[in-house]
Amino acid sequence: MIKIEIQDLHYTYPGGVEALRGISLTIKPGEQVAMVGQNGSGKTTLVKHLNGLLQPTSGSVLIGGWDTKKAAVAKLAARVGYVFQNPDEQLFSSTVGMEVAFGPHNLGYGDEKVSALVKDALALTELSDKTATNPYDLSATWRKMVALASIISMDTEIVIFDEPTTGQDALSVARIANIIAELRKRGKTVITITHDIDFCAENFERVIALSQGQVLLDGTANEVLGQENILAQTYVDPPQLTRLGKRLRLKETVRNQEEFLAALKKK
Amino acid sequence: MRERLSFYVKRESFLHHLNPLTKLTLAFGLVFAAFLSPWYWTPSFFVLFAIIPLSFIGKVQREYFGAALRLILPAAGFLFLMQSFFQPIGVKVIFKFWFLDITQESLMFAFTNASRIFVMVSSFTLFLLTTHPSELMSDLTRRGLPSQFAYVIISTIQIIPQMQAKAQTIIAAQRSRGLDTQGSFFNRIGALVPLVGPLVFGSLVEVEERAIAIEARGFTSTSIKTSLREIPDTRFDKMFRWFLILLVIAVIAARIWLS
Repeated sequence: MIKIEIQDLHYTYPGGVEALRGISLTIKPGEQVAMVGQNGSGKTTLVKHLNGLLQPTSGSVLIGGWDTKKAAVAKLAARVGYVFQNPDEQLFSSTVGMEVAFGPHNLGYGDEKVSALVKDALALTELSDKTATNPYDLSATWRKMVALASIISMDTEIVIFDEPTTGQDALSVARIANIIAELRKRGKTVITITHDIDFCAENFERVIALSQGQVLLDGTANEVLGQENILAQTYVDPPQLTRLGKRLRLKETVRNQEEFLAALKKK
Repeated sequence: MRERLSFYVKRESFLHHLNPLTKLTLAFGLVFAAFLSPWYWTPSFFVLFAIIPLSFIGKVQREYFGAALRLILPAAGFLFLMQSFFQPIGVKVIFKFWFLDITQESLMFAFTNASRIFVMVSSFTLFLLTTHPSELMSDLTRRGLPSQFAYVIISTIQIIPQMQAKAQTIIAAQRSRGLDTQGSFFNRIGALVPLVGPLVFGSLVEVEERAIAIEARGFTSTSIKTSLREIPDTRFDKMFRWFLILLVIAVIAARIWLS
């Protein structure tokens, strides 16, 4: 069980842009966290600290007690899996199966374990029938699935998704939601950057809103999504149902259809 | 501010505001005059009375002297040494070192050549420091340079920084998948495939998208195109270009007449 501890994290890019200005967070093992906020608010910069791609300018990031300043990225990869936004920036193998096996092989797992992990990841992303296909023969939607599978196969305790639903159709978004639900069942920590506020409301318990390199709001999805005025500072609109609930003066903040109907009945 | 992959330094100066073609003519004019002149002192004269003053007029003296001292002078100095030692001409020995003789003639020859090279590199350095590549290309296109040719030059300048950024992202993505890019030589060679693959695939896709995007904006249209940015071409520019052409002709004439 791996806990993430971030203490007073500051980061300034070499060009002089101060991207993170004092972030302190603790993410417990098995938590499902969504990160929201306008472009440039520091979401990607923050998660790049979790696997050591970026090193803090000051402050510290501990991943299960490992200081990311001291641990190599290749070593941290065994604990933190990071799915980049654009699958085309990582796919290189001639078959889906080989692509998905690349990560666990790098972690030094034996052949038997690798093939078990690959099989599992392909099943979870519904790619089992496409194992021998060249990733570049797949549509963009399925290439995204290959990218997800290639990280899930590494079986890390922490999985980070950078905008997984961008450019995906409803079916694919539902598939990604299923994957996140399955990872939750397995006790994995999932951190997702997203601009898709409905996706965020429906799939995550904890929501962190960033603005100008600082934590603007941090709490349960209902607490955070209820603060319409504060969220406006980072250009995030709560889901339509939440806003409708507010207009109807429902007592609780609601974020999905079930909660909305339940609250409406109570009234 | 310095732009990546171009030497251009953005400043407000007389030289910056000259028409790009005038600056190009100036650079070529100085080079031709320095190389064709029959007198050994012409290149040095150009350095003292044209290139150095121009670097101050263009407000790029700091950048120019930086390049001149670190790069151009050592290269020209090396050329001078090699030619003065190894040029087997002349009889009047000034200096002997082991089996190598330095004669007055070889010294003169080496000095002329080194200073010519100095003028050539310097004048193009000044040109590049004060001329934005896209300004040059749009001016030359307006004067009839095929736009395909200009596109090749400009897109190369633009694509390389983009590819660098893309390569950085790919490296980050693969390191996140446990790829070890450090360590032994074989480790590094093995790490190349996952890095080069996405870069090449991605770039090919990008080239196609770029082609479609510019075609959608009428790139190959044969009608006369207007430019968003008018690049001034003043009467002074035109007169100055004629002066430079006459200078080169005069130098050629002097050379023929003296020989």
